[in-house]
Amino acid sequence: MFKFIHAADIHLDSPLRKLDFYEGAPVEEFRQATRRAFENLIQLAISENAAFVVIAGDLYDGDWKDYNTGLYLVSQMSRLRDAGISVFIVNGNHDAASNITKTLRFPDNVKIFPSDRPATFQMENPRVAIHGQGFASPAVKKDLASGYPMPVESFYNIGLLHTCATGREGHEPYAPCSLEDLKNKGYDYWALGHVHKHEVIEKHPHIVFSGNTQGRHPRETGSKGCVLVTVGHRQETEIEFISIDVVRWAIAEVDAGGAESGYDILDRVRKKLENLLEENDGMLLAARVYISGKTAAHGEIFSDLERWMNEIRSIAMDTGNGRIWVEKIKVGTRLPDSGQILEQKDGAIGELLKLFDELTAETNVHPDLINELADLERKLPRELKISGEGLKFSDSSWMKDTLEQVRPMLVKRLLRKGAGE
Amino acid sequence: MRIDELQLIAFGPFTDTVLDLSGGQEGFHLIYGSNEAGKSSALRALRHLLYGIPARSADNFLHPYPKMRIGASIRTGNGDVLKFIRRKGRSNTLRGPDDETMVEETLLQRFVSGIDVDLFAVMFGIGYDDLVRGGQDIIQGGGDVGRLVFSAGSGIANLLEIQNELQAEADYLFRPSGQKQKINEALIHLNQTRIELKSAQLKGQDWCGHDKAFRRALQRKEEVQSQLHMHLKKLNRLQRIQQALPLIAERKDLENDLRKYVDAILLPEDFSEKRRELLSKLANAETQKDQSHKNIESSTRAISELTFSQELLDNGDTVEAIHLELGSQNKAVKDRVQLETRRSALFAEAGEILKNLDDDLSLEEAEKRRIKKTEALKIRKLGAEYERIITRMEDARKRLPEITLEIEEMEKELGTLPGQRSLDALRQAMTDAEDYGSQEKHNRSEQADIKSALKTIELEQNRLGLKEKTFHEIESLPVPLPETIRIFEDRFDATDRLLNNIKGEFKKVQAALLEVEREIEANRLEQEVPTENDLLKARELRDMGWGLIVEIIENEPFSEETIQEYISNTAGLTTLAEAFDANMKQADFISDRLRREAGRVAEKAMLLAEQITHKDQLQQLEKDHEIAENERRQPTQEWTTLWQPLGINYRSPREMAQWANDFKLLVQKVRDLRNRRTKSDELQKDIDSHRMNLIQHLGTLEAKAIHDKDSLTSLIKKAQSIIALEEELLRKRDQLLRDKRKLENELKAAGSRLESSEKDLSGWQEQWEHAVRPIGLKGDAQPEEANVVMDELKNLFEKIKEADILQKRIIGIDRDREEFVHRVKGLVDVVAKDLAKRPAPEAALELHHRLKQSREARTKMETLEKQMEQERRRLSHASRNSADFETQLKAMCEEAGCRDIDQLPEAEQRSTKHREISARLESTDGHLRRLSGGVPVKDFIKEILEIDPDGIAGEIQNLEEAIEVLNGEKEALIETITIEKTELKRMDGSGKASESAEQIQIILAGIENNAEQYARLKIATKVLSMAIERYREKSQGPVLKRSSALFNQITGGAFDSIRAEYDDKGGPVIVGIRNRDKEIVRVEGMSDGTADQLYLALRLAGLEMYMENNEPIPFVVDDILIKFDNDRAAATLKVLAKISEKTQLIFFTHHHHLVQLADKYIHSSILFHHSL
Repeated sequence: MFKFIHAADIHLDSPLRKLDFYEGAPVEEFRQATRRAFENLIQLAISENAAFVVIAGDLYDGDWKDYNTGLYLVSQMSRLRDAGISVFIVNGNHDAASNITKTLRFPDNVKIFPSDRPATFQMENPRVAIHGQGFASPAVKKDLASGYPMPVESFYNIGLLHTCATGREGHEPYAPCSLEDLKNKGYDYWALGHVHKHEVIEKHPHIVFSGNTQGRHPRETGSKGCVLVTVGHRQETEIEFISIDVVRWAIAEVDAGGAESGYDILDRVRKKLENLLEENDGMLLAARVYISGKTAAHGEIFSDLERWMNEIRSIAMDTGNGRIWVEKIKVGTRLPDSGQILEQKDGAIGELLKLFDELTAETNVHPDLINELADLERKLPRELKISGEGLKFSDSSWMKDTLEQVRPMLVKRLLRKGAGE
Repeated sequence: MRIDELQLIAFGPFTDTVLDLSGGQEGFHLIYGSNEAGKSSALRALRHLLYGIPARSADNFLHPYPKMRIGASIRTGNGDVLKFIRRKGRSNTLRGPDDETMVEETLLQRFVSGIDVDLFAVMFGIGYDDLVRGGQDIIQGGGDVGRLVFSAGSGIANLLEIQNELQAEADYLFRPSGQKQKINEALIHLNQTRIELKSAQLKGQDWCGHDKAFRRALQRKEEVQSQLHMHLKKLNRLQRIQQALPLIAERKDLENDLRKYVDAILLPEDFSEKRRELLSKLANAETQKDQSHKNIESSTRAISELTFSQELLDNGDTVEAIHLELGSQNKAVKDRVQLETRRSALFAEAGEILKNLDDDLSLEEAEKRRIKKTEALKIRKLGAEYERIITRMEDARKRLPEITLEIEEMEKELGTLPGQRSLDALRQAMTDAEDYGSQEKHNRSEQADIKSALKTIELEQNRLGLKEKTFHEIESLPVPLPETIRIFEDRFDATDRLLNNIKGEFKKVQAALLEVEREIEANRLEQEVPTENDLLKARELRDMGWGLIVEIIENEPFSEETIQEYISNTAGLTTLAEAFDANMKQADFISDRLRREAGRVAEKAMLLAEQITHKDQLQQLEKDHEIAENERRQPTQEWTTLWQPLGINYRSPREMAQWANDFKLLVQKVRDLRNRRTKSDELQKDIDSHRMNLIQHLGTLEAKAIHDKDSLTSLIKKAQSIIALEEELLRKRDQLLRDKRKLENELKAAGSRLESSEKDLSGWQEQWEHAVRPIGLKGDAQPEEANVVMDELKNLFEKIKEADILQKRIIGIDRDREEFVHRVKGLVDVVAKDLAKRPAPEAALELHHRLKQSREARTKMETLEKQMEQERRRLSHASRNSADFETQLKAMCEEAGCRDIDQLPEAEQRSTKHREISARLESTDGHLRRLSGGVPVKDFIKEILEIDPDGIAGEIQNLEEAIEVLNGEKEALIETITIEKTELKRMDGSGKASESAEQIQIILAGIENNAEQYARLKIATKVLSMAIERYREKSQGPVLKRSSALFNQITGGAFDSIRAEYDDKGGPVIVGIRNRDKEIVRVEGMSDGTADQLYLALRLAGLEMYMENNEPIPFVVDDILIKFDNDRAAATLKVLAKISEKTQLIFFTHHHHLVQLADKYIHSSILFHHSL
């Protein structure tokens, strides 16, 4: 009987994406998350007394240039060497793009598969044959698996492959392969990488994506980690997903429907965050808060959005006791049907509302509005303009969303007298 | 929408307070409350009523949250009414009037035209603060037209402030060329962090390069070190040999020297030392012996020279005592002189006092004047009593005339008081009238009400055509019963119905006839249908033509004329043949048509028949109508008979039924009014009788200020004041009489006090004469005089006493002196007879001197004797030591083999030399052993002797040079290794770069957040200014026109109008035109008050415009006039009154003068008062 660990997509030193800083955010706790998750992996291998570790590609981010990352990796590999644990690695698309890969010298317990042809490493104790081929270039579009060697007789055979499998949404279509080919290869275990979500595609034989070791942005929610594989005397295989992440991304969707006031909404946010903490066993959370629904507090919130965001952050601090970083707050509430200014189309306020209606309905953003923001747009860093949720001032759906937020804010400010007493 | 009733059931300070706001078409509802009456609570209640009570309401101090209720009845313009109660709660807070049934919130929203709470407060409410804010906004915004028009149309008072706020918030986040703004700051931080990231990043080839250099240096260092090792080994050996060469030479010399001292006796190493010590000690002992002899001799000589007197020493204590007393003796002599002087002075002072007492007594006789203490006390006591008696007497004397005067004045005042009048009758009349006093006011208003009711009845009477009738006539008018009227109504209805039927039928037949005639006409117009007649006529013509033709053919005579006539019958033809042909064809044509159009011919015939039938029907109907008319005449006549006697204009039974009904009500009203009038008149009669009664009583008491028309209340008040006045007079008289009695008693008491004092004085005089006699005064002496004499006497006796004491002290001093002289004489006789002639003090001094000398001499002798004894002991000790040392020296000579002491030094020197050389030899061997590198010295020496000593130096230098080179290289290598090691250590896989990358992400997130907020603020600013501009374009004309007029009114004409002008920058701004000089006044030049009024004018114009197209909403005005002067407040009230014709106006105020102004300037038909 022996154990080994299957991990992939470590993306060492890849920063956690766009965490919004505020006073009291648990910055220190969030530092170097990918490294600490990786250290958890190493520790797991040592404490589980694993025979070896396989890594199915993407140790670093392709555009990451700091050689320190490689040196750090070497230092961690040395820990495994000291514990007598071998490591088998195939390069993924990111590794192929990385300069670090080309010059790094690993200790002798680390075996890197060649990129120009498939190869096999054999161990005698336990009797294991590991087959693999790395990425020679950042974009490999051909089926690598089909060229993998035949299984070695009376050995436990593992295929190590960086692949999109039959295609996975949100992942580049690299080294595609068919499920049938993998099954027919006669291997006992396919250790796959590239897809960041853990997935057991097949059980006979095992075809497994371990997922990445640490989520880095709001789309990588949920528990992240590696797969601990236990192989019995008759080659029977048991797998267990072990979460090793140190920070977890979560989405707190808060339904503000029917809330009477901003404080009502805050109560709901608090409850939601408490639930999230409980669900994640008190893990450090990077939580994105979405607030939606029809509520009478809509105007109240938008008339001073900054203040309510701060309230939510301080609730997170209070509730999480430093365990929650509110990554971003998105408010998309609406006024309840009965709370609308129904027929008010006369008078100056009516004129303003009509203007809002017109601007919202326009298919092209009104040039005056774009113009207002031109100065800012010139100064904004590139990252904020290209990303999916970026600031696209001349995009009509962005402007429509923004106008929906501006309308209640402006009306509430104009009619603020009514709110008092 | 308007509010008919506002019920403050349980809210703030209110419990079941109801404001009835239903008065008027819309109404100007003025709600007055003093400061604490809860005006602002009511104002709030109005809003909470419509939009719910907020969760954190502070209006629960009386009624807890669950009990809070506001109720109302509201009504829309088209008459829909909603009655509801608002309670406090989270949901379903709207209920029906029973406080149970749920009412949908949307229902209420329909009533308020869907206007939300904020807009309601802003657009339909204006308070003093809004006014001020609006005014300030106008001034600060320079009168910008767009902004003002927008403010007017929305009710927003602080638009500029809001715009500025938006701008300021945006500026706080970002400015295109800013540094400190949040986004700008973050951008700078971002760039810095990017640079940090770059510098923290390590390149792969850097690390490899350093790693290679490190390894190379390490390897080279190993090689250099082993070379160094070899060289050093060689060098070391040569250096040892080089050092050993001189030692070997030295060793040979020493061996030669040692041979010279082989026979020397080896003495102990301390031998010389010991010898020298003994010699020196021996010399010392000899010197000591000499010194002791000399000392003993000099001491013996000194003792023999000392002398002293033993008797004096024996009487030493006595001598010292006398010497001690000498000091006090000297002092006493000095004191005695002073005492004597003081004593004579005292005697002189005493004599002086005695002389001043005007007495011939000498000092010795003064004793006669001494009195006892009790006597002195008595004199002083009598003196004090005298003071008391005199004071009392003078006081009584002074008080007597004063009291008399006061009594006289009081009597005078009593005399002026008016006489007492009897008011019982008046009092009774007043008590009787009091009950009616309270009714008088009520009755007056009742009579006014009756008068106005009369007017109403009169109007009603006129309406009913009973103008000239008296009430009695009206009440007794025999108006037919409603049943009778109804019967007539039915009868009239029946005949009318018949007539109508006939009329209807008539019309129908007439219409049918017309239709038939129209068809006949149409038939004709289409083409006349030929008749048989037509055919006959045509044939006749044809046959006539044929006859003529036949005549011609048969040559029968024919008339050309007849032929011509025939031809002319047919138009346009010239020959007979043609004419005949035409007529023949015509006849055929008609015949054909008759056959062909037989249908149409029949139709025409039928129409003609129908025409005749209809005409017959019409005739019949006219007849029926006449009959029906006749039938109708009967009830009409009866109707007239029924009404004529009443003498009023009567009309149809249906109208008269309504009339009878109204009449019945009128009669009821008349009856009520008659009763009320009777009651009121009776009451008035009673009141008048009481009035007359009071006037009569008052008249007897007070002629003036009574009028016949005075109201009962005022008369009662007058009576009350007269009675009060009378009672006041009575009280005053009593007080005066009481005071007078008191004064008379006092007068009596003062008289008797004077008398007793005079008696006391004569008794005192006797005692006084007796008392002052001992001190030499007569009876007429004043107490002060006696006191002075007593004080002086006391002074005198004190001085005499002091002089006596001094005398005693002088005597004592003289006695002490005598005793001292005696004692000195006795002592001198015993110890120093040579001093017997000297005065005692001198002798005493000398004795003391001699005693001191004798004591010193004796002490000196004792010291010398002790020293001599010591010296003798020292001498014997020195002698013993000297012998001992000599013996020891002799023993040392024997040890060294010398005959005497003088030979000892040489023996010692030889011994030392031998020892020295041996030691040096030993040391040289030691050195050599150390250099030999473990080889025995002898072998080492042998080995060296075989080497060429001249080559060694060159070889050493070569080696040293090689070693130096190698060491330099080694050092350089160590440095390289250290540097590379540090470099590599620096590249330890640190996470610094990745931390910077994380930091960049955090900064980006912050920028994104702030950029979103910035975008929202900028867009809000832009959209608002777009809306302002659009609204201005649309509404500027009407708003300015209307507000111009309102501004003129509100400023009481001080301003003529307002209009748009262009400011320096070309933007449109509002300016005022002053009436006086038509001068343009910019808003910056307006006073705060005027700007407020301009704002008000704009607001009201905006409101009016809104009302033109929308369901009105009540306009709530909260005390906006408090800073207006009376003229402008009145003008504004008038303007508001005008607005209250279009929408309900609810005006809250604390200020009573505004209530009065409203009463004065607003017509009572639209002004309704309410108070809290």
